[in-house]
Amino acid sequence: MHELGIAGSVLEAVRERAATERARIIRVGVRIGPLAGVDRNSLAFCFDAIVKGSEFEPLALEVEDGAADELALSFLDLEDQ
Amino acid sequence: MTTTRVPLERKVLSENDRLASDLRTRFRDNGVFCLNLISSPGSGKTSLLERTLGSFDPSRRVAVLTGDIQTDCDAVRLGRFGFPVRQITTAGACHLDGRMIDRALEGWDLANMDLLFIENVGNLVCPTSYDLGEHAKVVTLSVTEGEEKPLKYPGIFFKAKLMLLNKIDLLPYVPFDKELARRNAETIHPGIEILEISCTTGQGVNDWLKWIEAAARSNAQAIGA
Repeated sequence: MHELGIAGSVLEAVRERAATERARIIRVGVRIGPLAGVDRNSLAFCFDAIVKGSEFEPLALEVEDGAADELALSFLDLEDQ
Repeated sequence: MTTTRVPLERKVLSENDRLASDLRTRFRDNGVFCLNLISSPGSGKTSLLERTLGSFDPSRRVAVLTGDIQTDCDAVRLGRFGFPVRQITTAGACHLDGRMIDRALEGWDLANMDLLFIENVGNLVCPTSYDLGEHAKVVTLSVTEGEEKPLKYPGIFFKAKLMLLNKIDLLPYVPFDKELARRNAETIHPGIEILEISCTTGQGVNDWLKWIEAAARSNAQAIGA
């Protein structure tokens, strides 16, 4: 249920980076550990919902396996100019 | 289309972590020991606090923040003991976060406080991710729930320093295997401290009170207060 808030935090981090980044951000990577208490499907659903209609659309989310309770941003993919 | 991958090593909830870190610093500077109480709805967090506040001397410098999605029922229940209590109504949110705690503390003089309880929204999942600046999380599991809860909700049992096994007065009436519940908690979190209590009869409450004092003392020693 709190995945919407987490999706919002991920998008906020993208927005921060976009402010100083000339290339377009097309994908953001997030690492989630098994004890993080975050449901991946729910996060993906919420992320798509808030990206839709935003200045970042289309922006993909890629979830990687993390350790323990890890919940971290791991990378951004930038479109080469 | 070619892309360039830029590593980005930071926590997703870094903004909350920053707020929590500020709160922890304020708690430390003012000598406040803070516990974040987490459980499913109905496990007995409010009853635990009623027992706890009811056992304290009126001079005790303790305060409570209690979170719920709606209503101030818990603040009313807990306010009867004469200690400062504030309700945080999340209006739908399933957990408390650092910003809510920061706002709720406004106007309270932390210098006049030694102990702060934060009663989180009843939920075993979402509150786990949000650091509130507390010194320890305490999870309550009651014997009317399942023994497998530590396995089903590993995050909170992994992060909690103490598990309270509540409602043990009901053990004769429910098919709850207490030893299995303990084993499950220890599987997820080897070394987790476990106390058995009943907020109805008061059994074990003294052990909980002693645990609070010992944890507050060891925290004070750790920060050199």
